[in-house]
Amino acid sequence: MKAIEIKGLTKRYKTKVAVDHMDLTVEEGELFSLLGVNGAGKTTTIRMLSCLSEPTEGEAHVLGFDVRTQPNEVKARIGISPQDTAVADNLTVRENLEFMAAVYGKHGTQAKEKVEEMIRIFRMEEVAHTRAKTLSGGWKRKLSIAMALIGAPKLLFLDEPTLGLDVLARRELWQAIEAMKGKITIVLTTHYMEEAEQLSDRIAILIDGRICAVGTLAEIEAISGQKGLENAFVEIAGKGRTIDA
Amino acid sequence: MHRLLAFTERNRKEILRDPLSYIFCLGFPLVMLIIMTLVDQSIPKEAGMTVFHIENLAGGILVFAQTFIMLFTAITVAKDRSGSFLIRMYATPMTSRDFIGGYILPMLLLYLIQALITVITAFIIALITKADLKISGLILGIVLGLPSAVLFIGFGLLAGTLFNEKAAPGMCSILISLGSFLGCIWFDADATGGVMLKICRCLPFYYCTKTVRAAMQLQFTGNAFWKPLAIVSICAVVILTLAILAFRRRMRADLA
Repeated sequence: MKAIEIKGLTKRYKTKVAVDHMDLTVEEGELFSLLGVNGAGKTTTIRMLSCLSEPTEGEAHVLGFDVRTQPNEVKARIGISPQDTAVADNLTVRENLEFMAAVYGKHGTQAKEKVEEMIRIFRMEEVAHTRAKTLSGGWKRKLSIAMALIGAPKLLFLDEPTLGLDVLARRELWQAIEAMKGKITIVLTTHYMEEAEQLSDRIAILIDGRICAVGTLAEIEAISGQKGLENAFVEIAGKGRTIDA
Repeated sequence: MHRLLAFTERNRKEILRDPLSYIFCLGFPLVMLIIMTLVDQSIPKEAGMTVFHIENLAGGILVFAQTFIMLFTAITVAKDRSGSFLIRMYATPMTSRDFIGGYILPMLLLYLIQALITVITAFIIALITKADLKISGLILGIVLGLPSAVLFIGFGLLAGTLFNEKAAPGMCSILISLGSFLGCIWFDADATGGVMLKICRCLPFYYCTKTVRAAMQLQFTGNAFWKPLAIVSICAVVILTLAILAFRRRMRADLA
């Protein structure tokens, strides 16, 4: 089954077109990156796919469910870690996780086990009883991703997960993301080339709301005739070519 | 229901961990009762001013304290809206019912704690000043203060939904001033009469104070209790309904 199927997906805000007739398919278990500069339409695409914004035109199916007509089915099966970490500031790390577990219908032993699992996976033992507002940026990101994962989603959206993090925190988070690869489908937005290069199975390059290239790193390099994702990106963005690998 | 309760619990923790909630919602009524009792002791009996007698003051302070719950409701909702926390929660299976219920329930709990502190303090003051304030009246005051608590929570939910984090507290400050002054907490509008009384009667705050005072004094006559209770209850339902509709509309707009 396809994790995501998009046909002609468009989002317009008055005069601005944020996402322009996007066609895209993401396979189950894939780690798929949406790569683009600020304002390319990455976050808007994720918002539409996670039922946070209604498409102006086109169709989008997430895990087989229509985002327009079956939002509750979609929401029950996805997790999202937004660009702003969006955690409950006055709750501790453990309480934030317990809260999200309860929101996804997990109680008692099941909730407790899931919370412990997340704390273990993201190595948050030392901050488990720390209030979220006092956490560093790196810990907040980890908590945010753990909160998105606690409902055991089949599809995880990570919107700029390493934005504003130092190099060590970024590398640590990459390890956590890599550990999830293959277990669930992950859609990641980023404007860091090395991040997309390091983590992704496939990459889509977004320019002004349009997908200009989609494929594996090798495919994108072959199409652009450039070595490395950054060079390929500059080439494709510079020429504004529309290429489908 | 479990989602509503989970959100209630989150909001309860968020509010009770804010030191301001202890100062304004719990400490303030206690301090006001003591200060105004001292003021009352300083007023000569010949002045005939009874508004600060503990049997009148207790009900007034109980209602006045509710205005701070309104402020906290507005701040909590506006703060959640201004950050991305609420947007994140929109992507979960939570419904508007879960959000609204989750905001209202902890505020009602806060009211009950606040009201309990107020009546216990009032009872101690009544013992010291030998005032006629019965425990049964104080308990009824807490219970029959619930409609006005709902009214103020509704105002808070409405302000937090319609205004941002900076504007909502400002709007609530206006309502706090109006509520305390036109709610006749600090003066006796019935004795004053005239235009002032007419203005007070046009707003629900006057009836909030009147209901709780009558309940505490066990005066269950039509004009003193039932009529104000009916007006407060109707206003509470109307304002809460408006707040719920506004919140749902805002939620739909956020998801457009």
